[in-house]
Amino acid sequence: MNDLRILVVDDEPAIHRFLTPALSAAGYAVARADDGAGALRAIATHPPDAVLLDLGLPDMDGKEVIARVRQFSRLPIIVLSARDREAEKIEALDLGADDFVNKPFGVGELMARIRAALRQRSGEAHAADAVLRAGPLEIDRPRHRVTRDGQEIKLTPKEFELLVYLARHPGKVLTHRQILGAVWGPAHLEDTQYLRVYVGQLRQRLEAEPATPALILTEPGIGYRMAE
Amino acid sequence: MAQEDKPRASPDALLAKAEREGRGRLRVFLGAAPGVGKTYAMLQAARAALADGTDVVVGIVETHGRRETETMVEGLPVLPRRSIPYRGRLVPEFDLDGALARRPKLLLVDEYAHSNVPGSRHPKRWQDVEDLLGAGIDVWTTLNIQHLESLNEVVQRITGVRVRETVPDTAVQEADEVVMVDLPPDELLKRLGEGKVYVQDTAARAIERFFKPTNLTALRELALRRVAARVDCDLLEHMQGGAIDGPWAAGERILVCVGPDASAQKVVREAKRLADLADAPWFAVTVERPGTPLDMAARQNVDAALRLAESLGAETRALVGSDIVDELLRIARFENVTQIVVARARPARLSRPFVRTLADALVREASGIAVHVLTFAEADETVARHRLPPAGRVDGYVAAAMAVAIATLLGEELTKHVALPNVSMIFLLAVLIPALFFGVWPAVFASVLSALAYNFFFIDPVYTFTIARPHEVLALLVFLVIAVLISAVAGRAREQARASAQRVRAGRRLYEFTRKLSALADTSDIAEGAASEIHAILSRAAVVLVAVRAGELAIAAAWPPEDRLDTASLSAARWAFERGEPAGARTGTLPSVPWLFLPLKARQGPIGVIGLEALPNAPLDPESRVLLDTLADQTASALERAALAGEMADVRSAAEAERVRNILLASISHDFRTPLSSILGAASSLIEYGGRIDPEQSRDLLAQIREEADHLDGMVRNLLSMTRLEAGALDLRRDWVDIGEVVNQAVAAARRRGAIQHLVVSLEDDLPLVRADQILLNQVLANVVGNAVRYAGPAATITVAARRAGDSVEVSVTDTGPGVPPALIDHVFEKFVRAASDGTDRADGGEGAGLGLAIAKGIVEAHGGTISAQSPAPGQAQGLRVAFTLPLQPDAGA
Repeated sequence: MNDLRILVVDDEPAIHRFLTPALSAAGYAVARADDGAGALRAIATHPPDAVLLDLGLPDMDGKEVIARVRQFSRLPIIVLSARDREAEKIEALDLGADDFVNKPFGVGELMARIRAALRQRSGEAHAADAVLRAGPLEIDRPRHRVTRDGQEIKLTPKEFELLVYLARHPGKVLTHRQILGAVWGPAHLEDTQYLRVYVGQLRQRLEAEPATPALILTEPGIGYRMAE
Repeated sequence: MAQEDKPRASPDALLAKAEREGRGRLRVFLGAAPGVGKTYAMLQAARAALADGTDVVVGIVETHGRRETETMVEGLPVLPRRSIPYRGRLVPEFDLDGALARRPKLLLVDEYAHSNVPGSRHPKRWQDVEDLLGAGIDVWTTLNIQHLESLNEVVQRITGVRVRETVPDTAVQEADEVVMVDLPPDELLKRLGEGKVYVQDTAARAIERFFKPTNLTALRELALRRVAARVDCDLLEHMQGGAIDGPWAAGERILVCVGPDASAQKVVREAKRLADLADAPWFAVTVERPGTPLDMAARQNVDAALRLAESLGAETRALVGSDIVDELLRIARFENVTQIVVARARPARLSRPFVRTLADALVREASGIAVHVLTFAEADETVARHRLPPAGRVDGYVAAAMAVAIATLLGEELTKHVALPNVSMIFLLAVLIPALFFGVWPAVFASVLSALAYNFFFIDPVYTFTIARPHEVLALLVFLVIAVLISAVAGRAREQARASAQRVRAGRRLYEFTRKLSALADTSDIAEGAASEIHAILSRAAVVLVAVRAGELAIAAAWPPEDRLDTASLSAARWAFERGEPAGARTGTLPSVPWLFLPLKARQGPIGVIGLEALPNAPLDPESRVLLDTLADQTASALERAALAGEMADVRSAAEAERVRNILLASISHDFRTPLSSILGAASSLIEYGGRIDPEQSRDLLAQIREEADHLDGMVRNLLSMTRLEAGALDLRRDWVDIGEVVNQAVAAARRRGAIQHLVVSLEDDLPLVRADQILLNQVLANVVGNAVRYAGPAATITVAARRAGDSVEVSVTDTGPGVPPALIDHVFEKFVRAASDGTDRADGGEGAGLGLAIAKGIVEAHGGTISAQSPAPGQAQGLRVAFTLPLQPDAGA
C-alpha cells in the first residue's frame, strides 16, 4: 500500500495537522496543497492516487477544481464538506467527484471512503463485465437475469437497467440526476419521483428486509449508493 | 346571453346559492288579505318544528287578543319584548339584540311589513329580519300581498286604500320559501262577520271598501300569481345553477329616468313591473344640471324615488351633466340598456307645440332603445329639457338698465354727427353685454328696455311711444325677437362656461385632495388630512373612522376635531363598515343619525368609514354626493397604500431579522466546525492509528485537541458576550489593569494559536494603570489581534502599541496586510460584517463570524472608551489600524 499517495487540499492548517499523521499511519504517502491553484498544479505535475478536497478554498471554488481536474484526469476525488450543504455536495458529485465526507468527520470513516474510492478505480475495469456481483446478487447482463443466492428474481426491463447502473458503481454515491440521466435519459433529470418508485420496487424484490435496506442505500437529499 | 356549446352554470346563480350558505333561511307566509290565517299557519308549523326538536323561539307574534291564536302561542318559548320610549309612553317592540344574543335556530317574526317605532335600530322590521338572517338565524314571517312594494300602486287602484307599510320586493324575493296561506273570499268574509279578523283601527268605511268580495278575489289572484311567478323563478334559478340547458332570460336591461316631479315614484314602480316581466336588471338614473340646484321639495322627490328604486332592486345612479338627454343616453349605452322608462308631463295646452319635453327628446334621439313614455294627468311640473335658469341678482338688472341708457345716449350723440342707417345695432350691444355677464333674464330685460328706448328716442314721432309708420312696427318687433334670441344664446353660453369652470374647480379640488393625501404616509395623517379637506370642500363636519384590530372601528380623525360619536352614530358607522353600504342620514339604515357614513373600500375589503355631517335643512346635492364618493375612494386608496407600506416595512424588518439569524447560524456552524473537525479528526486518528503514530506526532495531535478546544471556548465566550451586550446586561468588574500585561498576553495567545506573522509589541514607558474589567479587555485585544492575524496575510507585520493620549490610554493594532476596502471601513464594527481577504467573497469562508470587532466595540464603549478603524493605516500604503481608547477617569460609580 505504500505506493499510494493522497493529496489533501485544505486552507485550514488545523486539518493538515491531524490528517497528515493519520494518513501516514494508515500507510499512505501525503501531499499537501493550501489552495485551488496549488492543487491543480500538484495533480497535473505529480498525479496522486486520490484527492481529499475541501470545497472552501481561498482562491477558487472547490467545485471549479473538480471541473478542471475532470478535463484531464479520472482520479478519485473525495469532497470534504459541511453536513448542511446538500446542494453544494450534489453539484460537486455531478461535476465528477466520487464521494463526500461530512465535516466534522472521524478518521475511521474517512479511511473507509478512501479505500472504497481507490477500489472503485480498479473495479471500473470490471464495470463492462457481462456478469456483475453485488453482495448476494448476481447480475447476468446479456441474459437479463438476476439471482439472489442462486434464486432468480423477476425484474422489469427498467428495474433491471437501474440495478445494473447502480451495481456498476459499487460504493459510489450516485446523485439523483446522474441516475436519472443514465437510466431514463437527459429529459428526465428532475423526475425524482420515478427514481423513488423504482428504488422502492427494487428494494421490495431484492432486499431481505426492504424497510432497512442493505443493498441500495439512501444518501439523504443526494442520491443512492450501492453497497459494496 | 351567449349560448355556449356546453351549458354552464350561471355564475350569478351559483353565487346567489353560495351566499345563502351560512345565512339563515327565510320563510314567508303570504296571504291575500288580513284574516286569512297566516299567523295561525305559522304557529302551527312552528309547533310541529318544536315537536321535532327544533330550537324555535317566538320573536314577536301579534295575537290581537284572538283566542285561537293565543292557544297556539302557548308552549312556545317567547322572547321578551323591548320597551322603547316614544312620545311619552313605552312601546313594546321586537327585541332585535335580544334575538341575536339568544340565537335560536328558528325565530318567528310576525308582520314582515311592520314599521318600527322611531329610535329602533332599523326603521322597518324587514331590515331587522335581514340582520337575523345574516347572523345565521332561520326566520319565519308573515306578509299580506298588498304590502309588497311593487304592488302598492296596483292594490291602491283595486281597493282604493293606500297601504303605507311596504316591504321591498327584494326582501321577499330573497325568501327561501314562500308559503301561500289561502282562504276563499266567502270564508274570509264570514270570519270577518264573526269578528275573528283583526283590522287596525281604520275607519269603518275603509274596512267596508277593502273587504269587498271583488277586492278580495283580485287580491287573492295577485297573491296566487306572485307565488306562481316565484315558483317559475325558483325553477329558473335551479336550471341555471344546475347548468340545465334551457331558455335563458332575455337580455333586457331597463333604465328609468327619475325626475324631480311628483310622478317619479310612479315611474319607478312601473319600471319595476316592466323589469319583473322581462326578468331584467334595471337602473334608476337622475341627472342634475350643474349650477341649477333643485329646491327642497324637488330634491326630496328625487331622493325618495331613488330610495324606492333601490328598495325595489334597482341600481341607482345620480349623475351631473349639462345636457340631460346626452347624459341619459350615455349611461344607457354604457349599461347596454334596451328600454328606457320616462314620465312625460302633459304640458299646458298653449305651449304644447313649443315645449320639447324630456320624453320627446329621448324618443327622438334614443336610436335602438325602446322608450316607454308614461303620461300622468296630475303632473303639473314639467321636466323640460332645459330648465329655465334662475332670475339672477339685482345688479344684473341695474347693469342692463345702465347699458340701455348708455346705448341711448350713444345713439343720440352719433345720430347728431353721422347719419346712422340703423341705430338698433347699438341696442343689440346693450343686450349682449348683460347676457354675457349676468345671464338670460337681465338680457331679456335689456331687450325689452332697448325696444322701448329705441321706440321712444329714435322712431318717429320721437319722444313718444307711438309709431307713425307701419314698417317701423315690424322693424321693432324683429329687433325684439333678435334681442331675446341673442339673450338666450349668450346666456346659455355663459351658463355653460360657468358649468365647465365649476367642473374644472371640482377637478382641481379633487386633484389637490389626492395630491395632499399622496404626500402623507401615516394612517392617522391621512385620516386627518382627509377629514379636514372634506370639511373644506363640502363645508360640513367630517369624521374618518379606521378599522383597528379585530374589525373594530375607531375614530382616526375628525374635522372640526372631535373624538366621540354617540352610540347610534357609531352603530350606523359600524353597519356601513360591515355591509359596505352607506348608512345613517338619508339612507335606509338608521336615518335619524346626524351623519352620513360611507364605507372606505379597499381591494381586500372595507378598511374604514367616512362620516359627513348631515344638515337637516341642506341635503347634499348630487354633485357633492358624487364628489363625496370620489373623495371617499381616494381616501380609501390612500389609507390602503399606507397600510400596505406599513406591512411592507414589517415584512422587510422581519426579513432583515431572518437574514441576521441565518448569518448567525451559518457563522456559528462554520466557525465551530473547523475546530470540531480538528478535535474529532485528531482524537479519532489517535484512537485508530495511535500505535502507528510516532510519539512526537501523538503529542502534537493532543496539543491540537487542547488548542482547538481553547479556540472553541473563546468563541463561545464571544457569543455569550455578544448576547449580554445586546441585552444590556454586560457586567463590568473593574479593577486596576496593566495595559502592557494585557497586550503581551494577547500577542502570546495569538502566537500560541499559530499566528505566523511578524508580531511587534510597542509599549510607551510609564503607562498608567486603567480601571477596567481585565477579562473583557483580554477579549477585546484577542479579537482585534485575531482579526489582524486572520486577514493580514502570512507575510504581514502586526504591531500592537499602547500609549497615553491625554486623559486616556490608546491601544492600537496595525497590520501591513491588504487592509479593508473603503466601502467596508465604516461597517467593520457591525455584527456579521467580515471582509474577505481579497475583497471578494470566499467560496466557503465568506459568511464567517464577524462578531469579533463588534464585541470589541461593545466592550470598549461599555468602559466609556471609543474605538475606530483606519485603512490604509496612517503612514502606510495599505493595511488596517484599529485603535481604541480607555479613559483614565471612568465615570464615577461605573
